[in-house]
Parts: sequence; C-alpha cells; structure tokens
Amino acid sequence: MKRSIAICFICMAIMLLTGCWDRRETNDLAIITGVALDKTEEGLIELTVEIHSPGGSGNRSEMGGDSGGGKNKTILQTGKGVSLADAMEDLDEKLSRQMLWSHAEAIVISKAFAETGIRDELDFFVRHPEPRLRSYIFISDGKAKEIIALRPSLERSSSEVLIKLAESEVLMKVTLFDLMEMLKGESGTSVLPMVAKSPREQGKAVLETVSYINRSAVLKQGKMIGSINDQLTRGVLWFRNEIKESIVTVKPEEADGYISMDILKGRTVLIPEMDGHRLKMTVKIEMIDDVIQNQTDWNLKELEKLQMLEAALAQKIEQRLTDTLEIVQKELKADIVGFADEFRRKYPEKWKKEKADWEERFATVEVTFDIEAEVLRTGRGSAPQ
Amino acid sequence: MIEKGKISALQMGILMYHAILATGILFIPASVYDAAKQDIWLSPIWASPVGFLCIFIAYKLNKLYPEDTIIQYSQRILGTFLGKTLGLILLLMLVTSLSVMFWQYGEFVVSEFLPHTPKFVIIGMMILLCASAVHGGLEVVGRLAGMVFPIFFLLFLVIIVLLLPDIEIKRMLPIMENGMMPSLKGSLVLYTWFAQFGIVYFFLPFLTNREKAMKFGMLSVLVVMLTLVLTNIVVIWIFGNVTENFNAPFMSASRYISIAEFLSHLESLVMAIWIAGTFIKLCAFYYTVVLGTAEWLNLSDYRPLVLPLGLVIGVFSLKAFLNSSEAAEHFEIVSKGFMDTLVYGLAIPMLLLLAAYIRKLIVRHKGESEK
Repeated sequence: MKRSIAICFICMAIMLLTGCWDRRETNDLAIITGVALDKTEEGLIELTVEIHSPGGSGNRSEMGGDSGGGKNKTILQTGKGVSLADAMEDLDEKLSRQMLWSHAEAIVISKAFAETGIRDELDFFVRHPEPRLRSYIFISDGKAKEIIALRPSLERSSSEVLIKLAESEVLMKVTLFDLMEMLKGESGTSVLPMVAKSPREQGKAVLETVSYINRSAVLKQGKMIGSINDQLTRGVLWFRNEIKESIVTVKPEEADGYISMDILKGRTVLIPEMDGHRLKMTVKIEMIDDVIQNQTDWNLKELEKLQMLEAALAQKIEQRLTDTLEIVQKELKADIVGFADEFRRKYPEKWKKEKADWEERFATVEVTFDIEAEVLRTGRGSAPQ
Repeated sequence: MIEKGKISALQMGILMYHAILATGILFIPASVYDAAKQDIWLSPIWASPVGFLCIFIAYKLNKLYPEDTIIQYSQRILGTFLGKTLGLILLLMLVTSLSVMFWQYGEFVVSEFLPHTPKFVIIGMMILLCASAVHGGLEVVGRLAGMVFPIFFLLFLVIIVLLLPDIEIKRMLPIMENGMMPSLKGSLVLYTWFAQFGIVYFFLPFLTNREKAMKFGMLSVLVVMLTLVLTNIVVIWIFGNVTENFNAPFMSASRYISIAEFLSHLESLVMAIWIAGTFIKLCAFYYTVVLGTAEWLNLSDYRPLVLPLGLVIGVFSLKAFLNSSEAAEHFEIVSKGFMDTLVYGLAIPMLLLLAAYIRKLIVRHKGESEK
C-alpha cells in the first residue's frame, strides 16, 4: 500500500514537468514585426525582417547608420535565397535567436518582385503556422527594404506605421486573407496598396521620412501590370463597397466656390443583368454626408440649395466612378471592381461561358449609375453675410 | 455479460455525438470542400441518412438479441465458426480505425502546436489517459461524455458568435452552382463519419432505458448533422473559396478572430474543445475494441486487456504512416474507395440482420412443417 502511494507521488511529480518540452521563452525569440521582400539582380529573393528589439536602449539598425530618432527599438536583418524558405534559412544563420512570425503584421513586396509574380511566395505565409491571415500586404514603389528601414518619429517602427496606414482605411486595405481570396476569385485580378517614401525634408536625416500609401497596384494572375492613383483608387473602393473615409469637394453650378463634404456612410450594391449577349451592371449607391467646409455664399439651410448640393455631389461621385471605369475597363482591362463575382453569383449557368474570355467581355459591360446622395448636416460655420 | 455498468440512452447519444464529431469538426470542411465547393453545408444533410440507417439496424438487431453485443450475436446468427471469423474481421477493422484516430490526434497536435515534442509522448499520454477511463468501464466513459458535452457545445457556440463580425454571406452564393452533384459527391466523404454511428451495437445492451435508445440515437445523428451544417456554413461564410488552403479550416477561422485587438488568437480554445471531444471519441472506440476482444475470447473480464491493447494500438498508430502524403492516400482510399467504417458500421450489421431474419423464417418454417 505504502509503495503504491509512493509510486503515485512520483507520477504526480512527472505531471508537473509537462509543457516544458516546447517552451519558448521571450528572451530566446526574435519577434518579427515586419517583412520586406525584394528581388536581387541575380533573381534571388531578398528577405528583410524587422525585429523588435526588447533591449530598449534605442539601437541602430544595421543599415541605418545615420538615423537620429533614438527611440526606435527595431533592428533589421537580411537573408537571400532562391525561395522565401531558403532566404529564411540564410537569415536564420545571422540571427542569434529563434524567429517568431506570429507578429509579422506588415508585409511589403517590392514592385519589381510583384511584376514577376507573388503567388508562389505567398504559399509560404499560408503554409507556415505562425504568420497571421490578418497581416497587411503592401507593394512598394522602390525597394521594399527601404520602406521598412525608415525610422518614423511618430510610431515605434516602420511596420507599425504601415499597419496604422492600412487601418485608417483611407485608401486600400488588403490583408493576406483578402489577397488570397482575390487571387482565387473569378476574375483573377487583385489590387494592393502601394507605399512610397515621402520626399526628404530639409535638415532631416535620410531615414526619418515617412512612408505613405498613395497609389494602388493592379495585379493580374498574381503579376503586377500597372497602378492607379489615389482618386481612381477611391473610385475602385466605391465599386467594391469598401469606402470608409472620403472627403468630396464639389463646385455646384451657379456657385462661386467649393463645398467640401465628409462621407459618413456609403453603401454600394452591384446589380448585374445579362440580356442575351449583352452584359449590364447597375451600380446603386447610397451615401450620407456632412458638410465640413463651405466657401460659397450659399445658405445651405435653404432646402432648394441643399437639393442642388446633393445633386452636385451625386454627379461628382458618378463622374469619379466613370473615370475609374474608363481606366479599369479600357486601359488595364482588369476587373478589380468585382463584377465577375457578381455575374457568377446571379447567373451561374451563363457565367461559365463568359468566364473564358472575361478579360475581353469585361470591357463591354455597360454600366449605369443610380446614386442617391444625402446631406445630413450642414453645420453653421461662418454663415455668409 | 462482462460489462456490469449501465448507461442511460441520453449518455449513449452524447457519447456517439463526440465519437463522430470530435475529429469531424476540424477536418470535415476541408475534405468536403474538394468536391462540394461552396455547397459544403449541404453535404451533411445528404449524408445523415447513413447515420439514421446505422442506428436503426443496430436497434433492430438489439431487439432480437437484447443482451448481446455484435460479437456475441454474430455467433448466434451465423454459427460459431463464421461468427468468430466475422467478429475477428470487425475487431481488426476497429483496431485499425482506432490507431488511425490516434495517429490523427498526434499528428495534429504535433504539427499545429507542439512541433518539438516527440509524437510518442503525445500519443502515449493520450493512450494512458484513455486506458484509465476505459478501465473504469462504460459508466465512466458515458459520464465523462455527459460532463464534456456542455463545455464542448458552449465553447463551440462562443467561437461561432465571435466569428460573426467577419462573415460575409455572399461567399456561399451561388447555391448549387453545378446542380446537386458536387454536394452529393462531398457527402460521400461524410458517409465514413456517419457510418461510425454503427458502433452503438456495442452500447445498446447496457442501456438502462432501452426503449428510448432509438429516440436518442436518432437525436444524436440529428444534432451531429446540425453541428456540421453550422460549422461548414460558418467556414464558408468566413473563408469562401480560400477554404481549400487550410488543413483544418475551423481552427484557422478561430485564429482569424480578432475583436477589439485584444480578443484574438483563440485557437487554444478550439484546441481545448477538440482535445476534450477527441478524448471521448478515442475512449468510445477504445472501449469497443477492448470489450469486443474480451467477448471474442470469451473472457470473464475485459479489464486485463486494456493496457496490452493500448500498447498494440500505440505502436500501430506510431507506425501507421510514414509521411503526410501516405496518410493522405490512405484517407483518399477510405473515403472514396474502400470505406472501412461503412463496412463495420453498416454492411456487417446489415448482413447480420438479414441473416437473422432468414434464420427466423427457416426456424418458423421448420416448426410449422414439424407440426
């Protein structure tokens, strides 16, 4: 009896040891906060990671020798290889700690890389159990490494700047998951935000400039084919029902100045229609705005003036969407506005025939707009005398 | 009867719920997606009749031989030699099936959570745990199932609710894009899961309220079906056409949860549900193997068999497959070609029931002719 009790106790002691096998202490880890992907001239993949440095003493980056910020707590490390995993191996050799990918929430891919195709390398991020589906993806105008090497003065690290930029939803916001969905979508096109460095200001260190999103990259079958500017991006956002923030400035007819409005709520519904061989799409938009600036001498409390303003607003949006469509349909021939999926959902049978030469057919879709703009509050401001 | 313990029909239903769903909740969406695409939520509905049929047949057999499990009445129906042979085949299939389940458990834990822990530790611990539960008998297993169920279900619902902000119903459209066939093809894979309901033939003789067995058995199938429909529909709402990229979409979905920045990384919750459920599932199958073997050998007690069989199963499960593609091939075969669960869950009992009816006819015929 005594012996069995003793054995019991020994066994219980073993229980206490569980969980230590796969332990990973924070001071054994290199926490990766941002990733940059470049292609070298020899065609190798250059993987740069931004690692959070817990030291807190404000370390310099490997390449940022002349930075002046001082409170940035990140370091950079680069590896090269024929594939992403191979580059990671190279990177591993240079790091004293084990890499932790679960906090890599900003992934920057250089334009040159995107032009050769990103589909194969995304596989790594999907397969690896650690990177998260909510990581944000960006395309950089120049080298991706340069974006991630910036030393922002407002945020702790450049990856954080990128995350905040994406979350503000002023322009495109694309997560790893969104990108996967777009790559698998019916049209095979995807659209990603593009980041650029703001020009260096006088008297500031090279790396102290900030990155910002100003364009959107358009990809076909995972390969970048072109880009669109911020105005057109907003148009695309309208089509995709992703518009969150936008300030629209209009100049109504008969008015002597501009009136700016901030969007409170915007909703887009795409209604496809197949009539024989003709493809039609009705874009139905409902929007609610607030007036934030009034340069004119209009008194917006007059209902008649308000209605004119609403009409001008609707017209302005329609103009913008038509411009967007012009570029997207005729020039890029890339269905980044999501028409393909709408047609497929409504006409699954007929769609199968259209799918084969959608690129050509997309350009022939006749689009009509049905925009309902409503101005909710006009504010008082400096009322015209 | 070797088993002295009794369970209620409700406990049996819950036990079966776990025995089917524990592994299914993770792997079903991905394996069905290959065939059914965005219609995966329809497939469980098409597949559920198999479950109902299994319960029905086991129930009918139990009516004829109320005190026996399948190992015993197969001998009564087919004679000692044929009955024993059939029993052996059945047991071998159950042992293989159980080993594969242990392998799946070990593989999943190692690949998703503890990559550096040796597999034999993970599988070995689970076998020891299950062995102690099985050693306690059917009552212990039944009550465990009853205890785990509310937690399992509650956490499952919590995950579903937390996923709601990310859903987009558009992703499931168009429904039945290519007609009924894709979802029916997807349901083929699910037959293997629903056919596992057949193993109730090991539990039916030990029920306290046998008249309710049918009712709770059917209810269990229904709840399993509804849970699967709910899982699949949420997965498709969240992931749409990306579903096929994940091994365990429900797990990936829980990883995807992020509410107000701090409520994220909830996969450990799913893992907790999953391990609890899988534990019950493994116990249920382990118990049937142990009890069946003891009855097949005409032993007076099944308890001495628990550990030796555990060792056999452990070795089997560690050596089951060399790598993931070999495993994938195995699952491809058992889900599309030779469906072992359909054989032991449905085909064998059906054969026995048929033989039993024919035998009855002959006996009656003989009796009449002797008069």
